[in-house]
Parts: sequence; C-alpha cells; structure tokens
Amino acid sequence: MKKPKILYVDDEPINLMLFEANLEKKYQIMTAENGTKGLEIISENSDIRVVVSDMKMPVMNGIEFVRRAREMSAGISYYILTGFEITAEIQQALDTGLIRRYFKKPFNINEISSEIEIVING
Amino acid sequence: MARIKFEHRITFIYIILGAVWILFSDSILKLFISDIDNLSEVQTLKGVSYVVITAIFFYFFIRKHLSKLRNTEHELEKHKSNLQQLVEEKTMNLDHAITELSNTNIALNEKNDIINQQNAKLKKTLKELKDTQTHLIQVEKMASLGVLTAGISHEINNPLNYILGGLTGLENHFADEKINDQKVELYLSSIRTGVNRATAIVSGLNQLTRNRETYEEDCDIHGIINNCLTILDGELKNKIEIKKQFSEQPMVVSGNVGKLHQVFLNILINAGQSIDDQGIITISTEIKKEKAHIKISDNGCGISKENLSKITDPFFTTKEPGKGTGLGLAITYNIIEAHKGTISFMSTLNKGTSVRIALPLKKEK
Repeated sequence: MKKPKILYVDDEPINLMLFEANLEKKYQIMTAENGTKGLEIISENSDIRVVVSDMKMPVMNGIEFVRRAREMSAGISYYILTGFEITAEIQQALDTGLIRRYFKKPFNINEISSEIEIVING
Repeated sequence: MARIKFEHRITFIYIILGAVWILFSDSILKLFISDIDNLSEVQTLKGVSYVVITAIFFYFFIRKHLSKLRNTEHELEKHKSNLQQLVEEKTMNLDHAITELSNTNIALNEKNDIINQQNAKLKKTLKELKDTQTHLIQVEKMASLGVLTAGISHEINNPLNYILGGLTGLENHFADEKINDQKVELYLSSIRTGVNRATAIVSGLNQLTRNRETYEEDCDIHGIINNCLTILDGELKNKIEIKKQFSEQPMVVSGNVGKLHQVFLNILINAGQSIDDQGIITISTEIKKEKAHIKISDNGCGISKENLSKITDPFFTTKEPGKGTGLGLAITYNIIEAHKGTISFMSTLNKGTSVRIALPLKKEK
C-alpha cells in the first residue's frame, strides 16, 4: 500500500529534516521552506492528505499559506505547528475551521501522528 | 459732726419762732395797747395775720420743694424712657447681631461641609490614582514582559524542537536496532527530562505573560500552581520543601489564566523570600460550597501586626529600595477581586504566614 502524502512547511531546515526523519516510516513526507514553495507542491500533488505548517515564516505566515492552500485544495486537513503560544490569529483560524488543530513546538511526534491517523483512516 | 436733717431743722425753727411769737407778741402788744377790748381784737388780727403769713411762707416753701421734686420726677421719667429706648435699641442691635452671627454660622457650616466633601473626594481620587498607577505599571510591565517572553520562547522552542525531534529519532533508532544499553537508556532519559523541564518553564512563562483581558478561560488551579512551581524551581530548590495537599477533584475556575499565574507566583515568591535558610511551604486545596479554597502557608519570618493591614496597599514594602516595588500583593488583591474571589492573610512574627484564597468554581453548563 502506498504511504499517505504529507506536506510540512517550515523555514528551518533542521525542523524539516527531523519531521521527515521521524515520520517517514509511516508517511511520504514532502517539505517546503516557505509558503510559496508549499503552494507549488500542493498544486503538483493532488493526493496530499495532510498539510502541517509553521507559523512564522518569510514570504507569508502559516495562516496566510493555509488560507491560500485551502482555496486550491479544500479537501486537505491543515495544521499549524508553532513555537508560539496560541495567538488571536490562530484561535480565529481554529474557530472558523481553517485549521483542524494547532500543535506546539517542541512537537510531540505521537500526538501529531495519532491525529494524522484519525484524518487518514476517517 | 452729724448734719441735722433739713425737715428737723425747719420744724425746730418753726416751733422756736412760733413759741417766741406766742410768748413775746402779747407782751409787746400790751406795751402799746392798754384797752382790753381793743387788745382782744388786735390779738385776733394778730392770730389771723400769723396764720396768713405762715400759710404764704409755707405755700412758697412747699411750692419750691414740690417743683424741685417734680423736676426730679420729670427728669427721672425722661431718663427712664430714654433708658427704655436705649435698651430697646440695644436689644434690637443684639438681635440683629445674633441673626448675623447665626447666618455666618450657617454659612461656615456649609463651607465646612463643602470642605469635608472635597476632602473625601480628594481622598477617593488619591486612592483611585494610586490604584490606576498600580494597574498601569502592572499592565505596562506585563505587556513588555509578554512581548519579551513570547519572542524568547519562540526562539527557544525551535532549538528545543531540534533536541526533542533528535531524541525521538534516536529513541526510535535504538528501538529499531534493538540496542538495549543501560547507559544509552540513562543518557536518553536525562535528555528527555531536560527537554521536558525546559519546555514546561517556557510554556509556564508564556502562560504567565499572556496578554488577554478575558475572564472566561478555564483555569485549572492545580495546573497553574504546578506551573508556577516549575518557574520558581531554581529559586526554591535546595532551600525550601514544597508540601502539596491537593484535592482529588479537579479544580477549574472561570477566569484569566495569565493573571491567576501572577497571583500564585507572587504569593509563592513572597513565601520563598520570607524563609531565610531552610523552610517549608505547604499548599493545600479543597472544594467547599462551590468554591475553590487554596491555602499557601510558609514557616518564614512572618509579618508584624501593624504591617499586616497594609500589605495590599499599593507601594507598601518593607524590602530595600530596588528589591521590591510594593505592588505584588496589591496586584494579587486586585486580580482576586476581578475573579469575584476573596483573599486573606494570617501571620505571626517569626512563625510564618498563611494566605487563603477562595474562588468561585466554574459553573457547569
């Protein structure tokens, strides 16, 4: 069976590397260093199931990226993973259903992977 | 020599003159008149003339004296009426003066009332000013602290993410390779403990400084107290033993998570500072009558009776300049009030202090 595709967007290469290293067994991880690249990957890969994005990034922040990505592909489940405490902007994104959940750095792999499981199996 | 009174003198002179006249007038008459018939007639005439003369004399005499008396009486009358008029005038003046005085008195009382009112207003304004100043300083402090901690915690969370991500990777790797080395296990668990603690501190700081004004967040009191203890760990360890007697039921209050962190942090810092060398801080919680009761006791230096009533006054401090602003408990008090709770302090010098807080529990919907 083909592994589900997941996109992770973060401007720090080590974060990208670790996310991939820790989840690559179960999922096919695609990574992007900023929102623009993330949008490109989404447009080229219609089978992406889950998108996890950092909040503070150059070019566009996580919420902006998710908003644009959702316009292209509404079927994906979106998440924010950030080192910040929950902000008003993130809270609003949660309330309006733009993102399903918000994760905090340092990330708990088990928490994230069990959430991804719910989305993929449900 | 005693003066002989006028009426005695006149009576005396009249008797003498009368007696001399009666005794000698007849003898003188007899010298000139030899005829007895004539003598009797002249004697009658003499008697009549005597009466007439004395009558005339008395008439003038009495008139003179009476007129004197009448004058005096008249003068007296005049004086009396003058006096009466004078009294009336003076009385009127007095009445006037009294009315004026009482008017002045009323005006003075009114002025006094105004002064008292203004005084009370001034006192109230001064208190409000102090409270506002406290609030402003606090808001300003927490705002800048909030910006700072949010920035720092974001920057720290990223390297923490590397460590935790790397650690997770390592743990999985060792598990996959079936490497079961006790030393590796020890190193890995040390790293995990360190990361978890650093994460808890950063997260605690963030909770403390988050700038929200809502009082409708779910505040888990036990979680908040534990968070504060994590933040203060460095300050309290090796010196103070923390005894926790938490209620078994969860304790959730509707309020502001950041501000309640400030409350317990302030109280725990004070408790810690009251202990010089070694001591114990006991934290107990209990749910009673739909209220969360929290008691924090220390066996530190205590607070004197005269200071105990002032500890929640803004800017009251016994610490040296630069060591304390005197705002901690004033802010604590305000935050508890904003949560519709109560706070009370009991203390004995050299024995310790206990702080009791009661907060209404979150209402189940």
